[in-house]
Amino acid sequence: MTEKILADENRVVRHSGLELAEHWAIAVSGIILLLTGIFELPVAKRYYIVTIPGLGWTADFITSLYLHYAAAFVFTAVAMFHLVYHGILGEKGLMPRKGDFSASIAVIKSFIGLGKEPPMHKYLPEQRLAYAGMALIILMLIVSGLVKTYKNIYAPDLSWTVVLWATWIHNIGFILFFLAFGAHMAAILLKPNWPMVRGIFTGKVRLDYARHRHALWIADLEQDQPTLGTDSPQQTKANEAPPPENPGDQASADRAKETPVNGQNAPRSEVSDVSGDPETPADRPGE
Amino acid sequence: MREHRSKMSRRSFLKISAGTVALTGVGLPKRAAAREKGQLATLIDLSLCDGCAALETPACVFACKTINQDKIPEPVDPIPEPWPRKTIEDWSKKQHVSDRLTPYNFIYVHKALVVDSGRERIVYVPRRCMHCDNPACATICPFSANNKRPNGAVVIDQGLCFGGAKCKDVCPWEIPQRQSGVGIYLHVLPGFMGNGVMYKCDLCVDRLKEGKTPGCIEACPRQAMLIGPRREIEKIAEERARAMNGFIYGKNENGGTSTFYVSPVSFELINETIQKKPGQPDMKTDVPRRMAKTDKFGDAVLAAPVLGIAAAGALGWYARRKEQAKKEEKDND
Repeated sequence: MTEKILADENRVVRHSGLELAEHWAIAVSGIILLLTGIFELPVAKRYYIVTIPGLGWTADFITSLYLHYAAAFVFTAVAMFHLVYHGILGEKGLMPRKGDFSASIAVIKSFIGLGKEPPMHKYLPEQRLAYAGMALIILMLIVSGLVKTYKNIYAPDLSWTVVLWATWIHNIGFILFFLAFGAHMAAILLKPNWPMVRGIFTGKVRLDYARHRHALWIADLEQDQPTLGTDSPQQTKANEAPPPENPGDQASADRAKETPVNGQNAPRSEVSDVSGDPETPADRPGE
Repeated sequence: MREHRSKMSRRSFLKISAGTVALTGVGLPKRAAAREKGQLATLIDLSLCDGCAALETPACVFACKTINQDKIPEPVDPIPEPWPRKTIEDWSKKQHVSDRLTPYNFIYVHKALVVDSGRERIVYVPRRCMHCDNPACATICPFSANNKRPNGAVVIDQGLCFGGAKCKDVCPWEIPQRQSGVGIYLHVLPGFMGNGVMYKCDLCVDRLKEGKTPGCIEACPRQAMLIGPRREIEKIAEERARAMNGFIYGKNENGGTSTFYVSPVSFELINETIQKKPGQPDMKTDVPRRMAKTDKFGDAVLAAPVLGIAAAGALGWYARRKEQAKKEEKDND
């Protein structure tokens, strides 16, 4: 298991190197696919994009197709890898759970000062919902894209009905992917989410942040790392919450000090309240 | 020789016309669907075409115009100005134009004055869509409004086309022509997206369904054009080219097409007489199918799911084994 509390560093490992590679491969290839997908529409000349230095190639649909295919190779292979690899390992941390919708509303409300955030697992409930949505969109794009690719090379006279379905699923998927990407970026703008940004670059997040916001996750990790129990020197040190590097996080650090949530005193009843599905050990590796 | 060839073409014409009728299902309607799958091809014999010099408009052009005269609805007035590039293509007031391709004219006849082996001669070349074997215009149409039918015809659906002219850009001969102010784009975002509908020869697919031959072929007074099962047409094209010690165009161009020109004069010479202009395509030989080079990338995309799953299987198995070994080690301790 990659997830690990590094109390001395006030860090917790949130993502493995492999997970980071998967995320960034999908992100970079996805952005290339979005852009080259736009340039497969006759927009470059009409909107004078071709006149922008360095973007002269955008009017050439075949050049865009090369790039689209190259990015689609990475995107498709990694998406399939992700599904099967984490499926084999039984990692389900990002799968939506019962109660995620109402919990998401509670979290969103808390952003505008209405109520408190419920204690959370490794992923926020809206992250799990967004993951399912994104997975569906990506699946739509991949399946329809494969049909279109096959048609381009081997069957230009493929049934028009099939071609039309594939085309419109791809086009609608493109719009949804664009919106989902925008929403993903917008989530970064929300201050409470800032500490998570580090995680997707380095794989680690601040322990005091995680204790405060992902109390259920840390509780589980502490069960797996018994040496980091409440009485251990490391634990005490972590609970003291070193000053946050980002002054903006002072408030959460303060709250972390005030609320020593750990494996022992994390209210298990709240687990059920939030997820409606008390975690089983089988769930944990997936997070 | 010419007479012999002429007789041969008449025989072939009759044979192939009968074949076409059978292919399209009029002869045996119950098996129509199965026969529709048969690929058709056309042959244009330039040794026979005289450009209908005695007529004001060549017969093929006239027939095509007549058949398609009501195809385009009246454009809206005024035609919405596209933004930011303000190109409007309106041919509705110039429907009579017949010396180039327009949305109202799907075929025209180019008159080539060539000097062949020191001898001056005139070759008439009817020009229209080549109905390519793997047409980029259809395969990468963003809305799949342009599609290749199983019988080989490449057809633009007027109801789905936004008139972005991508098909024209990727066609080596820039065949499709735009009429602004008509089509579905008027009901979406006319100022920002789309600009009309693209038009071109559709091989008279509706007539083919009725068991008729395309209008241009039916109208040709010299039987310079044929349509029939692809293999048969290709065979005839080769036979005729051999007989006249001539040349074939369309067999390899753009990766292969279902239009075979046969000419006693080389197409390099014919091409030299053509000044490429909008609506007047050139006739360069061995035009490559540009998308062909992307096919390898496409193959990689098709293989990507298998590669991804195989890698996941191997790594997943390794990770599980490692985890199990760790667990066993822990249990032993």
